[in-house]
Order: sequence, then C-alpha cells, then structure tokens
Amino acid sequence: MSGQSAPAWSGEHEVTDASGATTSTIGAPDADASWRDADERLRAAARTGVACAPVRELIGETDERAAYAVQSLGVERRLAEGRRIVGRKIGLTSPAVQAQFGVYTPDYGVLLDDMVFADREPIDLGRFLQPRAEAEVAFVLGRDLDSPTAHVADVIRATEFVLPAIEVVDSRIAGWDIRITDTIADNASSGAVVLGTTPHRLDGLDLAGVGMRLDHGGEPVSTGSGAACLGNPVIAVAWLARAVARHGRPLRAGEVILSGALGPMVAAAEGVFHARLDGLGEVRADFTTTEGAAA
Amino acid sequence: MTAASAFAAALDRAQRTASPTTQLAADAAIGLDAAYATQHALLARRVARGERIAGLKLGFTSRAKAQQMGVDDVIIGTVTDAMRLENGGVFDVSTAIHPRIEPEVAYLLGDDLDDPALAASDAVGAVAGVAPALEVIDSRYRDFTFSLDDVVADNASAAAFAIGPWRSPEAVWPLDNRAVRLEIDGRLSQAGSTAAILGDPVRALDAALRLARRHGFALRAGMVLLAGAATVAVPLPARGVVTAHVAGLGEVSVRANGDGGAR
Repeated sequence: MSGQSAPAWSGEHEVTDASGATTSTIGAPDADASWRDADERLRAAARTGVACAPVRELIGETDERAAYAVQSLGVERRLAEGRRIVGRKIGLTSPAVQAQFGVYTPDYGVLLDDMVFADREPIDLGRFLQPRAEAEVAFVLGRDLDSPTAHVADVIRATEFVLPAIEVVDSRIAGWDIRITDTIADNASSGAVVLGTTPHRLDGLDLAGVGMRLDHGGEPVSTGSGAACLGNPVIAVAWLARAVARHGRPLRAGEVILSGALGPMVAAAEGVFHARLDGLGEVRADFTTTEGAAA
Repeated sequence: MTAASAFAAALDRAQRTASPTTQLAADAAIGLDAAYATQHALLARRVARGERIAGLKLGFTSRAKAQQMGVDDVIIGTVTDAMRLENGGVFDVSTAIHPRIEPEVAYLLGDDLDDPALAASDAVGAVAGVAPALEVIDSRYRDFTFSLDDVVADNASAAAFAIGPWRSPEAVWPLDNRAVRLEIDGRLSQAGSTAAILGDPVRALDAALRLARRHGFALRAGMVLLAGAATVAVPLPARGVVTAHVAGLGEVSVRANGDGGAR
C-alpha cells in the first residue's frame, strides 16, 4: 500500500484534522466490496479497451460518497503503478448538463502525469474508448489552496497563471450511459488534457467574458464563453478547493486545474481540434489514428 | 389567388391574431422559390398596411440553431419598422404565439449593397455600424415545427428586434470570437460566442448578398442586417428584462410585458 505518510492519496475520503492526518477507510479490510467490484470493472474496461456496463449497478445511482471512494481506489492503483498526480478536473459545470444529470453541484476527478499533452503534440485516439473534446481554462496554482472555506479571492491569489486548454473526456461506461455516480467513479470521465503555452495572469482578466470557439476542419464545432462555466471559471475552482479540502485532498502549489467546459463537448475525431479563447490564446489537440489500431 | 398569396394570407392572419397555423408543406416541399415568393407576398401585405422595410435578417447561421430547428441551410428574411423596439423598449408578448429571443450582432449598411458590380469582398466596406442586438422570433406554425420551406415562407420567424448602440466597424473588428451573454432579469440564461454566427459574423455580409441576389431582396443604405444568433433561442418569459451582452461591443435589452406594454 502507500507508504508512511503520503497524506492525500492513501485512500481516505474523510478529512479529520487540519494537520493533514486522515482516516483511511478505502483500502482497509472493511472497504465495501461493491466499491472494489466497481473499480475492477472500470479497470478492466480501461485495460481491454472494451467499455463496461454502468457501475451504478454496483454502487447505486445517488451515493456520491461511494462513487468518490471508487474513484480513489482507481487513483491509488494508478499511483502504485508509478503515476503521479499533476492536478484535478472539474466536471458538470454547465447548468444544462447538471440538469441532465439531476445534480446541482459539479464533480471532480484527478489528472495524472500520463494524461497531459502539449499544444500540437500528436495524441493517439487509440488510447481512448469514446473520446470527446471541450475547451476550458486551466488554472496553475502558485501556492497551496487548501482551505475548506476557500472563496474566489483565495483562488485568484493562489493562481499563478491560466492557460487555454482542451480537455479530452472519455467514459469507460459503454455508450456514455452515465449517471452521476458512474462518472464520479470513473474519475469524472477524464481522458487527457492538452495545455496551451501562453500563460496569462488573472490580473485584470474577466474570465466570464472570454469567448471560446473550438474548430475542427476549419469550422466551429463548439462555441461558448467563460460564463458557461458556473458563471465564471474562478467560481468553479473555488468550489473544487473547498470540496477537495473537505475530502482531505487539498489543492497544492503546482497543480493544474481544469475548470470546466466553456461550451458543449463534441466527439473527438482524427485531425486538429483548434481552441481559441479570446484574450487567452489558443491550443490545438492533434488527434491521430494508429494504422490497424481500429476495430 | 396564387398559392403564394394564399399561403401569405394564412401566415399574415396567424401573425395578426397571434394564433398558430398549420405547416404549408409538412409532407411535401413547396420549393424554395415558392417559399420566397410567399415571403415577398407576406411582406407586400404588411407594406400595404403602412409598414416600411427596415432591413434583412439571416436565419440558421449556427450549427446549434440549425440542429435545434432540424434544418441545414442559411435563410433570409425581412424586418420592418413595426418590428423595431427601442433599446430597453417593451415587447408585448400577447401579440406573439410562442416567442423566443436570441442574442445577435447587427450591421448598419452605409451604402447600397446590391449593386451587381459589387464584389462580395466589398460588402464589408459597406458597413457603417456594428451593434449588439436582440431578436424575438415567433414561428407562426403550431409547436414551432416547420420545414425549411415553411420557415422561409414565414419570413424566417421574424417578430421583433432591438439594437444597441452602433459602433464603428473599424473600432470593433474582428468579431470572430466575442463572448456573448443572454440574461433574463440579471440571471445568466445562455453563454456563447459570436463564432457561432457562420464561424465569424463578418461572413453574414457575404451570405446576405448571395441570398439577396438569388431571391430578390434589396440591400440598401440605411438598412439593418441581423447577422444571426450567437446562442440558441430561449422562450421569452411573460414578463422580465432580457439583456444581450457582446464583449467589446456593448449590450441591448428588451422588456417583456404580458400586459400590453402598459407599464
């Protein structure tokens, strides 16, 4: 299991005290067997490339705590395999998508080092099951953002810079047939992130007023703006900071936070998806297909 | 009475009585030429009652909008002075069947745009002003359901429009990715980008010129051109203030009032 102190990722899901000490329940002998079954189902889907049946069959449709416990099992396993946490992602930040899921808060997942790509870097579509793309603002933290009462001013102060980003979301659940617990357990349907390379400081920046266009084949396939993300991406990051601090996994300096989609997500396909965020620059996801990798 | 004038009479009656009519061509297309002939006949009736042509509007300029309506081509319609609301003005929802509202970009034409000698690339030079706009659309068809021919005949669902402060084009180009917000009583309803308008609202000029030439519309100095919607259209509430904000361009609002605009 994880070593001596490795505080945030030893599998706990409840915060205990401000010192960072936590109560580990997941991974302990009394962990709910249904959580392990759900984790195993998702792991098999990722490994074989064959999407699986919804895990809500195992953990229920509404128990978000159980779903985050399953997510933690998956993250812990990836860490044991040598992966490293580079940040988090926020999902369900659009009122329309929240209504579709019947939930009224966002959710979150974990970004690992092998998910991160740079502007124009080729990305093999074969690594995904059913990928979709969306354009976002990525926050990079210059300092810890670890208060369970963090608010927007804390976010602004802790943010070193923001980058334009394309998130590739993916679901291990067949046909994207997901409810809230399915997506949370499946690491918030994370796939990959493509980071732009033009950092902007938040000083004087109105993120709600940033126009977004995502083009494929020279035509916009998704359009939107910063206000589509909970009214302002800064609000989404403040929500995340509070949620993960309460869950004992506070945001740390250096983390990359994908704050949520600025417009509808679209199916990823071979070719370049070019996101432009008005005033923040641009980023391109270059999706490639490997010969013979289809089928 | 020709088919076009009969269709126009039915659509005119539906609009004046705020009661929906049945589709003209629910099962069989009447053809785009007949549809535009119907629209021209419909506008001739309005002009005969004293309305004046104020400009043109484009429809289905965004992928999201086309998908919402189940059509796949840009269309053109006509707006009159009777449809124009002041910025902040009142729209009496009782005059409409099932009105929806959407944020747009509008152009003011400074020169005639329909000179056959004019190249499409010169269209941009004819623009004297650019402004944020709100358009109220109201299909005269039951359940807002129609074919492409139906909606062309129904004057592209045009019902009312309001335009914000004009800005000089040189001061605001380019407009290909400006954040757009539609708010109802101060609450965010839709967030989008001007990129939804044909990929870049400047392309609306080419599209208008092409459609106007093909289907017999004049594009004259002093006319307004509504370039298309930046987000999906949302139902207009029975009462409330709707505001469109386009980053770097400004804002415009309309007050919906179910009491006939008395307050």
